[in-house]
Amino acid sequence: MQKVVLRSAIVSCLLLAGSAQAELNVSGLANTCNNCHGTGGVSAGESMPSIAGLPEGYLKNIMMEWKTGKRPSANMTRLISGYTDEEIAALAAHYSKLPWVPAKQKTDPKLVKLGKKVTEKCSGCHGDTGKSDDADTPSLHGQWSQYLQLEALKYRDDAFNMPNKQMVKAAKKLSDEEIKAVAEFYASQSK
Amino acid sequence: MNRINRREFIKLTAAVGALPVLGFPAVARAGAAKARVVVIGGGYAGATAAKYVKLGDAAIDVTLIEPNKIYTSCPLSNEVIVGHRDIKTLEIGYDGLKKRGINVLHDFVTGVDRAKKTVTTQGGKTLAYDALVVSPGIDFHYTGIEGYNESMIEDIPHAYKAGPQTLLLKKQLEAMPDGGKFVIVVPKGPFRCPPGPYERASLVANYFKHHGKTKSKVIIMDANDSHSKKGLFNQAWAKLYGWEKEGLGANPNGMIEWVKGAEGGTVTKLDAKSKTVSSDFVDVKADVLNIIPPHKAGKIAADAGLTGTQGNNFEKGWCKVEPMTMASAVDPNIYVVGDSCVAGEMPLYGNPNAAFDMPKSAHIAMTQAKVAAAAIVAKVNGQPVPNPYYANTCYSVVGDDYGISVAHLYRVENGTFKYIKEGSGVSMMTLPDKSPVPAAYRKLEAEYAAGWLRNVMADSFS
Repeated sequence: MQKVVLRSAIVSCLLLAGSAQAELNVSGLANTCNNCHGTGGVSAGESMPSIAGLPEGYLKNIMMEWKTGKRPSANMTRLISGYTDEEIAALAAHYSKLPWVPAKQKTDPKLVKLGKKVTEKCSGCHGDTGKSDDADTPSLHGQWSQYLQLEALKYRDDAFNMPNKQMVKAAKKLSDEEIKAVAEFYASQSK
Repeated sequence: MNRINRREFIKLTAAVGALPVLGFPAVARAGAAKARVVVIGGGYAGATAAKYVKLGDAAIDVTLIEPNKIYTSCPLSNEVIVGHRDIKTLEIGYDGLKKRGINVLHDFVTGVDRAKKTVTTQGGKTLAYDALVVSPGIDFHYTGIEGYNESMIEDIPHAYKAGPQTLLLKKQLEAMPDGGKFVIVVPKGPFRCPPGPYERASLVANYFKHHGKTKSKVIIMDANDSHSKKGLFNQAWAKLYGWEKEGLGANPNGMIEWVKGAEGGTVTKLDAKSKTVSSDFVDVKADVLNIIPPHKAGKIAADAGLTGTQGNNFEKGWCKVEPMTMASAVDPNIYVVGDSCVAGEMPLYGNPNAAFDMPKSAHIAMTQAKVAAAAIVAKVNGQPVPNPYYANTCYSVVGDDYGISVAHLYRVENGTFKYIKEGSGVSMMTLPDKSPVPAAYRKLEAEYAAGWLRNVMADSFS
């Protein structure tokens, strides 16, 4: 469905060039995201998530939550507020179709072992390895460990008042070491 | 706009495209690239332009000309000055671009012949182009402060082009005794990295704190009456460095002083021997003196006739561009991206003279380069100009686990740049309920700054 919408967006871009109405140029839009999220949405920075290959529903939802103020963020709430709902949908579709590329990183085997145990209770939503088939759940396998830690800390910290109450509840039960371990475990599952 | 040019261009590309089918002779095949794009200057903007043209159409021949074999990132180089970061983490070469099939020529451009559409180099090469990207960054005006000239930068560093200058300022800071004055002279805008001088002041104060030099001071002598992220900087300074208010000597127990232009911040005179800078109001003797000279577009842009010669501070000396494509306002075959262009309109720091320019940041330079690359690829392939988007994210690290940022978003509407207020703004000063922003937010932005750096370097050079 989205693919069709996108294709027709490109086609209409070609047909309507020159009209006053600015045409949606999704690759141009995505180029502005790549600065922080990496070329093609594959991040090279440990604190920034790769976004290529994440589920479309998740991407769209998280952007809309930032835009509508439901999800706090130190910075994304600002930028995303300048994009239309249509652009957000197009970006979500665009990145979801790109291949998921695990981050190249070293993980601590001890923490990975602990993380495997701790994440047993996460598998209902996130799968055994962080690879989820659910359209609204992000892929975690091979994501940057530091990013995963920072996000988990946000869920645990009341200062952020994060929207997903199930995640908040789960994160609150974790010690600092366990949060690190969870992140290292998912980061190591790069298949 | 440039209809004839474009039509000719399309005709040309169509002809070249058809030739291989007819069994194009070897002689012509040597020059049979779909189009030739030359990029002058291999900073964030130039590297990104080269990469994204190649990504957009691998059949386009792309040559990047850059004298240096290693690029040193200016963003986060203030962390090097205070010992928080190794300068090696800011360095990157051009192998990533070469692997993408981009020709990298380490040479110095001596001239651009716009009529012949050629670029000549010190090494004796002449390169023909169909599209030229000009991204030389900034040059300094060494005039304007009496008693100051370029030969002094080995003693009075600017450290506003990263590399040896950064390390020199670091060495001087380390040698400064407690109770000393570290004076930063800020030029009239526009200058690259608008929050740069204030981030530097913050990190120098942080250095004092960590190295038992708490009697020392950072004095910012500013030719401007306001600055980037001012509220956030002042909040951080008050929290971390004992700052209370503006003015020279206003914070006896603080480590940072900011003197605005209207109140004596505009430095007009230097006594280099005693490192004393003077304005119409005051003389300040520095132990470490960091003069950031006024900026202008890189020399090559001026030599090529791309810079404005009239208008206000934001037009004179800089290259005006077409909003849809980043093409030079005076030459449709040349695209000017990065710090040397003047683009956009935004209400900046309440200063009416400062209301006309996109900030000169690496991030925005890269989005400008991507717009130019897309426009070039479209033109070569006879397609309409894609709708452009420009964005900026700029982090400043102002203390331990303390980062702040500003974001900007621009679109083009009816042929002019449009600043999108909804997609722009600085980090929160308070939470929505007016309570203080938790430290966790500031820590996150400090972490994001480091991740941002890795990504912008990779998105440009790898």
